[in-house]
Amino acid sequence: MLQKGSKIGHSSHVVTFDVRPQLLDALSVLRDRVAATRFPLPVAGAARARANREELLLQLDDYLVPRLKEPEAPLLAVIGGSTGAGKSTLVNSLVGRQVTEAGVLRPTTRTPVLVCHPDDQHWFSGKRVLPQLARVRATKQETWRGRRPPARPGGRALRIETVDTLPPGLALLDAPDVDSLVAENRLLAAELICAADVWVMVTTAARYADAVPWHLLRTAKEHNVTLVTVLDRVPHQVVTEVSRQYAALLTKAGLGDAPRFTVPELPESAGGGGLLPSTAVAPLRTWLVHRAHDMGARRQAIVRTANGVMNSLGARMPELAGAVAAQHAAALRLTAAVDEAYEEEHARVRGRLQAGAVLAGDALKRWRAYPLDCTPEELLDALVESLGTLLLNAVAAVDERVEEAWRHEPGGLAPGLTVRAPGLENAEHRIGMTVRRWRRVLEEHAEDEVRGLDAAPDMRRTSRGVAPDPEAVAALLATALLGGRRGRSAGENLAERIGAHGALRLRDRGGRLLTSYVDKVLSVERERRLAPLDALGVHPEPQAELIAALSVMQKER
Amino acid sequence: MTAVTAVTDHRDHSDPTGGSGEAHGSGPSGTSGAEGEPNPGRTSRATGRDSGHARVEDDDQGSEDARGNRRPRETDGAWDDGLIARRVSQAGDDGAAGDTEGGAGGEGGAHEGRGGAHGGAESRGGADASPGSTLYETQLRGRLDSLRELIGLSRTRLDRKTLAEAGRVLDEAAARRRLSEEHTVVAIAGATGSGKSSLFNALAGVTISDAGVRRPTTAAPVACSWTDGAAGLLDRLDIPMRLRRRPAKSPDGEAQLRGLVLIDLPDHDSAVAAHREQVDRILALVDAVIWVVDPEKYGDAVLHERYLRPLAGHAEVTFVVLNQVDRLPGDAAEQVLDDLRRLLDEDGIALGEYGEPGATVLALSALTGEGVGELRDALDQFVAERGAAVRRISADLDAAAARLRPLYAAERRPGLSEAAREEFADRLAEAVGAEAAGEAAERAWTRNANKACGTPWLRLWRWYEARNAPLALRPRPGPQAPVDEEAAARQRVEQAVRMVANKAAYGLPAPWAQAVREAAARGGQGLPEALDEVAVTAGPPAGRPPRPGWWPLAVLVQASMTILQVIGGLWLLGQVIGITSPNLGVPVLLMSAGIVGGPCVERACGVAVRGPARRYGAEAERRLREAAAACGKAHVLDPVGAELLRYQEVREKYVDVIGVGRTGGVTKLSTTSR
Repeated sequence: MLQKGSKIGHSSHVVTFDVRPQLLDALSVLRDRVAATRFPLPVAGAARARANREELLLQLDDYLVPRLKEPEAPLLAVIGGSTGAGKSTLVNSLVGRQVTEAGVLRPTTRTPVLVCHPDDQHWFSGKRVLPQLARVRATKQETWRGRRPPARPGGRALRIETVDTLPPGLALLDAPDVDSLVAENRLLAAELICAADVWVMVTTAARYADAVPWHLLRTAKEHNVTLVTVLDRVPHQVVTEVSRQYAALLTKAGLGDAPRFTVPELPESAGGGGLLPSTAVAPLRTWLVHRAHDMGARRQAIVRTANGVMNSLGARMPELAGAVAAQHAAALRLTAAVDEAYEEEHARVRGRLQAGAVLAGDALKRWRAYPLDCTPEELLDALVESLGTLLLNAVAAVDERVEEAWRHEPGGLAPGLTVRAPGLENAEHRIGMTVRRWRRVLEEHAEDEVRGLDAAPDMRRTSRGVAPDPEAVAALLATALLGGRRGRSAGENLAERIGAHGALRLRDRGGRLLTSYVDKVLSVERERRLAPLDALGVHPEPQAELIAALSVMQKER
Repeated sequence: MTAVTAVTDHRDHSDPTGGSGEAHGSGPSGTSGAEGEPNPGRTSRATGRDSGHARVEDDDQGSEDARGNRRPRETDGAWDDGLIARRVSQAGDDGAAGDTEGGAGGEGGAHEGRGGAHGGAESRGGADASPGSTLYETQLRGRLDSLRELIGLSRTRLDRKTLAEAGRVLDEAAARRRLSEEHTVVAIAGATGSGKSSLFNALAGVTISDAGVRRPTTAAPVACSWTDGAAGLLDRLDIPMRLRRRPAKSPDGEAQLRGLVLIDLPDHDSAVAAHREQVDRILALVDAVIWVVDPEKYGDAVLHERYLRPLAGHAEVTFVVLNQVDRLPGDAAEQVLDDLRRLLDEDGIALGEYGEPGATVLALSALTGEGVGELRDALDQFVAERGAAVRRISADLDAAAARLRPLYAAERRPGLSEAAREEFADRLAEAVGAEAAGEAAERAWTRNANKACGTPWLRLWRWYEARNAPLALRPRPGPQAPVDEEAAARQRVEQAVRMVANKAAYGLPAPWAQAVREAAARGGQGLPEALDEVAVTAGPPAGRPPRPGWWPLAVLVQASMTILQVIGGLWLLGQVIGITSPNLGVPVLLMSAGIVGGPCVERACGVAVRGPARRYGAEAERRLREAAAACGKAHVLDPVGAELLRYQEVREKYVDVIGVGRTGGVTKLSTTSR
């Protein structure tokens, strides 16, 4: 539980917050729940939800959890702002030494620099905060004046500098810009700002109306963080006017209570290397040192930011949960499109089978020629192939329909789904296998029946003991099953050969077999069509879990 | 929402536009050979940027590139659009490079250039000196007309929104054409606080636009025209009367900047969204733009990602000036300028250095006046050329064409291969059962022949066997169904149509692929019924099959064998009874000759019958197959082919839009390059 600093007063030397372990547990559960969410389908709001999730994770990992675990860690003030606003010069001037390179080329700072008192270094050298940034050793006198800093392989790093001019308990972080052409800089800056106890937003006389920093300021207000604004590089002659206008803008945005500092434009601010005179940054320095030393002010700063983040969870978690629900709904719609297509096609296949569509084309020609000019085997071959084509055709038609339907679904454009599952050739192969297996089982049934006929001679109506050829029985059976009306004479023929009773039994078994194999083919293909969607792992559960984790956390506060 | 969202969203938004500009140049540029049969000679290719190099006789590097790139490009098997060949030839023409071996322009390698748009602008370089209207006549009119026709032709296939965008280019071009050619409208754009208004005032010589410290300062565009008659242009820009000004009268600069209309724009990056909208609206209408940047803001993402990258093709009508250099100490100004050039290059903007056409980059200070003179000179020259309007329209056209590219450019040559047609015919033949019918006909013929030529005894025995056999096992002709309805296998027909449509549509841009599939599906609807009819009409003819000439002879011989047996038998019988004189030899001989000869004749006939039977069967199969194939061609292949032809036609129009519409180029290139 966090308490307002003002209630505790100034007396205690060591800052302690009464943070219950349950709250930390609840937060870690909440963090895991957030980390478990996925937004693979490009529905409306998915990009936003992804960014939201990233940012939530960063704030939890980089700020909230470490801060609540170790409230006595130094106060971290992140100096952020536009490119060319003079952030690095400001940091250098605050510590009175050149610790981070400033320059005229934009963007200047690419590797963030953390400055702290030597006694505080252990807080930052570990993975307590900003665990995803590799720590880089402080390099002395590394200046790149006039040259581009060499691109660092692997990119993301954090340089830690120690200076004893900075009081213990305060750390400054020189962040990259928020609006330059280098996209990694912008992302990194946003990430660093998430880790801040105090945001120091630097802007300039030329920039104070820019859209991007204002966006950040509004975010700061939303999260109710401890915010300081610095109006940098203000030419002497217009100081009053510009700072008055800036104040008006801030007040209009509801940020009137944030401390404002104005730093005039001096020859040193443009030169790159120079430090501003200490008088120029004295008020800001005093303010920051006061935050670090005065327990009340410090607690107030920390509590305000931490509470702000936790309060913002109340709005952001439901938003995330809503996005999860939207994902699930989109996935359901996609699945429904597939199911519907397969169901309709299944019905169509059943209709075609009943109408005897398989006994057409070459199969029909074979049947007309049977038995004089066609062997039973050829007839069976033709029938089986025809059946395979019927099923393959159905699958291809479904595929086309699903593709069409998915194209109109926002979620259907997900990268994993638009890549077509490896071809119909494979479907052809699979269907061919299944159909041939059906044929084999059918032949076995026919053989069984004929053998049964042999075993029970009294059942036979044949007078001369000539057993009917199993192959012919199978061919007739297949024709009767697949031929619809046209195959009726095959059924009669079959009955003559093995008796009405046996024929009926055989047809019954064969029919059931056919139905089950057709169902199997279609359901297997359906599964395969849905496999990439299933692989995306869109489930409804995270929605409830997120909300549950949030309410647990709110209860524990 | 939050910081991260803001940044990423912004990126998401701006990337596609930035990307499209670049995708343009680096599109498929495979082996050359325009519409006709693949011509091995036309292997030269280049994107516009390199054709530009070639034109300034930078041949060495160009040819190296060409050699380096030729081989891999040829092997990747992509179909050459002919788009590139044309532009190359154009560049070759313009440059009039002496060695026509492959055309100087042809030597340009296919860089990952940003170049289509630029290339279009490039070719204009040769005619720089001619006034605007001539430029328009020679270069632009044909392309604009082609674009108009292209839009007309593809209206039924493409969605309205895509075409509306291209149509807008046409409208704007026409609107600009109607207005004064004497004037060049130049807008000053930039971020808030970069000093747009200061520069505007410095150029005009008087304070027209308020330059203040309050950000953002300028809220509405202000115009300043150096000569009269620009009212129509300003009306088009929707600039109110009270904001139209005149520059200060200067004694010496009377003739300078004649025809210039300068517009001071609001910022594009402040928190006031209305400013941005105004900037976007006016930027689409002006002839040229001066981008004002300052040392603080020259690397801003908004400027580069939202404006400069998408407008990379407009480099020739772009000035970029680095303002406020007075704020930079010493050599920092030079460093910053170099860095700015590097960023512009990364944006894909060609820089007008070393005499190449491209954007002009200058450093100046509107406050101190340093460098303003240079800008004035550059502007003066630029305005005097009076080519800006045409160049701008041309760049717009290039950009529109680049956007349309995925809708028109195919990955491979469209059309159905012979193999695909063959396969389609095979599938249809299977659907009507041609092969089965042929086999059945062959066997029936053989059976009949054997029956006719067999020995009577054997036939008698078979008949007896059959009579005693159980009813069910007795071979009998299949039920004589008169005419089968739905004789053609529906599923096979459907599958065949689907396969052939997919093959025809493969590699086509999506809308055209869809059109081809639809044409095939429409044609496929009546196909099964037509095939049913084919199965009946082209089936084996009713009545007796034709018989070979030797058949009666064989029957006669077989009969005589039987007669011999009978005679021999009777003779022997007569001896037994005693009617005839005992003579064992002759009758036995006769009888045994008959007994042996009968099967022999049967066997011989069996062998002799094979050939004709096979021919008969093959003939039956061929008849059915051909009828089915003809049916398929009429129903499916022809509509599909028509659709493909239509696409081809549209594509050629598109090539006309892209390339500079001179037709001589291709022929010239194909004849000069072996």
